[in-house]
Amino acid sequence: MSIGRDGIAGLILLAISLVLLVKSFQLPSLPIVPVGPGFYPAIVLSFMAAASALLVLQDLLKRRPAAAAGAGEAPRRNYRLVVIAFAIVGAYVVLLPLVGFRVATVLFVGALQAALDRPRTAQQWGVLAAIALGTAMVSYFVFERYLLVLLPRGAWTGF
Amino acid sequence: MLDLLWNGLFNVAQWKYLLPLFAGTFIGVIGGSLPGVTITMTVIVVLPFTYGLDPLAGLAAMTGVYVGGSTGGLIACCLLGIPGSPSSIATTFDGFPMARNGEPGRAIWLGVWASVWGGLLGALFLVFLTGPLAAIALEFGPWEYFSLFVLAMAMVAGLTESSLLKGLISTAIGLLITVVGHDPIGSVPRFTFGSAFIGGGFPFLPVLIGIFAFAQIMTDLEKLNSPRGQAVESLVGVRLERFSHLKVNLEIFKQPFLLAWATIVGLIIGILPAIGGSASSVMAYDQAKKFSKTPDRFGKGHPEGIIASEASNNANVSGSLMTIMAFGIPGDAVTAVMLGAMTIHGIQSGPLFISQNPDIAYGIYAAYILAHPCMLLICIVLMPLMLRVTSVRMAVLAPVVLVLCVVGAYALNNIMQSVYVLLLFGVVGYVLVKLGFPLAPLILGLILGDQIEINLVRAIMTDANPWLFLTRPISGLLLLAAAASVGLAIWQHWRHQNRLTEEEPDF
Repeated sequence: MSIGRDGIAGLILLAISLVLLVKSFQLPSLPIVPVGPGFYPAIVLSFMAAASALLVLQDLLKRRPAAAAGAGEAPRRNYRLVVIAFAIVGAYVVLLPLVGFRVATVLFVGALQAALDRPRTAQQWGVLAAIALGTAMVSYFVFERYLLVLLPRGAWTGF
Repeated sequence: MLDLLWNGLFNVAQWKYLLPLFAGTFIGVIGGSLPGVTITMTVIVVLPFTYGLDPLAGLAAMTGVYVGGSTGGLIACCLLGIPGSPSSIATTFDGFPMARNGEPGRAIWLGVWASVWGGLLGALFLVFLTGPLAAIALEFGPWEYFSLFVLAMAMVAGLTESSLLKGLISTAIGLLITVVGHDPIGSVPRFTFGSAFIGGGFPFLPVLIGIFAFAQIMTDLEKLNSPRGQAVESLVGVRLERFSHLKVNLEIFKQPFLLAWATIVGLIIGILPAIGGSASSVMAYDQAKKFSKTPDRFGKGHPEGIIASEASNNANVSGSLMTIMAFGIPGDAVTAVMLGAMTIHGIQSGPLFISQNPDIAYGIYAAYILAHPCMLLICIVLMPLMLRVTSVRMAVLAPVVLVLCVVGAYALNNIMQSVYVLLLFGVVGYVLVKLGFPLAPLILGLILGDQIEINLVRAIMTDANPWLFLTRPISGLLLLAAAASVGLAIWQHWRHQNRLTEEEPDF
């Protein structure tokens, strides 16, 4: 018997549910309410723990075929690109309160475009820059000027 | 009722509402036609633009996106052979072959007109049945509400394509997210671990945007630059042949039963919580094939397939709107965002919604009805533009959509915390998708979590006897239906497994 992806996911979820279940029993109860604040979370967490345990069991009992010869035919996934995209989004979220919406958005849109489809000619770089600037400016004017949404100001830049 | 509807139509026909409706429909058609951009994502992108509008104008814009997006998806289906939005999935089966057979115009306009007629037929049900449904809902006590919500979640978890267990776990994760923060009765902090970041709980919309939009975009990015992704057989750049709108309509109305049945299938699937347009279009397609005199022509460019799929997915919108207006339960992810938008505008959806907000309720009916001619006009005038739009690169689209998601989350309260929540749940959503957990049950759990808890505690405070959940007739029936739904899903899964085992060859 070997554990698969579902089994590992089930084990993690089971651990989370059990830890929180213990926490839910420790919540203080209120004299005016017949059931305490931990009552409902305890039901949800018990349910989640039971379902997660079943998922682990189901995974353990699953007949796992040996790696098939045609396994290589599955569509190739570009996980590297996803990690890079998440990193760029993360950097954007960090930069927003530091350099402000306008600068951070220009940098973000430019960087993500370049990561997803690297420009090769000067013209392509120009298009990339225009899209980055355009996105930042249009969204700034629409939201800040027209819809009166106060977008993040930069602690470093002051705007 | 008809007076109120006329007033609603007259009201929404004013520029103040017509402009957001038209703009929403236009964005919906464009969003729907872009492969990889779902209607949910489009409605999320439009959401921040509605913050500054009055409630009806904002909801009219969203209704427009919903209707436009449900139709826009067919353009990519017919020209690229990939659904622009999941709700058009079944249109691909016959739309693309018909286009490849040299009739792209016929394929697209059959779909557009079937959408219009399916949607307008659905509007009849929306207008005349929502009130009676809300009246039934008014008879509900906390026991019935609790059981109804349990049924909704059981159905969604049971109907998910991946495993039932994963559907149930996904539901529990959604419910769990709602218990973080202060409890709704005594305001006792729960699972906050002393952190100010989650002290107030997770705000609903940033979680929804993170889970749906972020996870969807990241999943699409995986396929970028893959040889398979580039090898999509495309008809983009093709010119639509000359056609007659009259001829297309005659072709549709030659099949009145098909149109009516597809509409009803779409409507029923729409009423059932969180199942969505993709299920309705596939189910209507399947039904059309079963009832057809020429089932062997399906999949080879048969008009019946396009009519069934498109009429059904637009009628699905009316069903989803009925559920949100009568019960306060979102019919799908799009109406979940609309429900969030209503809350932002201080409107409480549910059985009292129509009687307490008749202007808005009939305004939504009117917006839904008027969105169809708007959509038709947009398609007629802007079809050449839309044919180009389908070829917009993901490298351009993804950053722009992500910026609008961030703005949408930030603009809710003008605090960065919402953006952090968005990013956190973007990662969570992506991981769950990769692990094969369906997101629809999670979203429903997230939306209904608070209400389930409130109704459960309210029922116990009224009468501590837990058997009342089973002995009150409606509540008992609803719980029985929930158990049956889970049981049916288990049985179907078991049967499927058995069939696979039987088909497995012995070596």
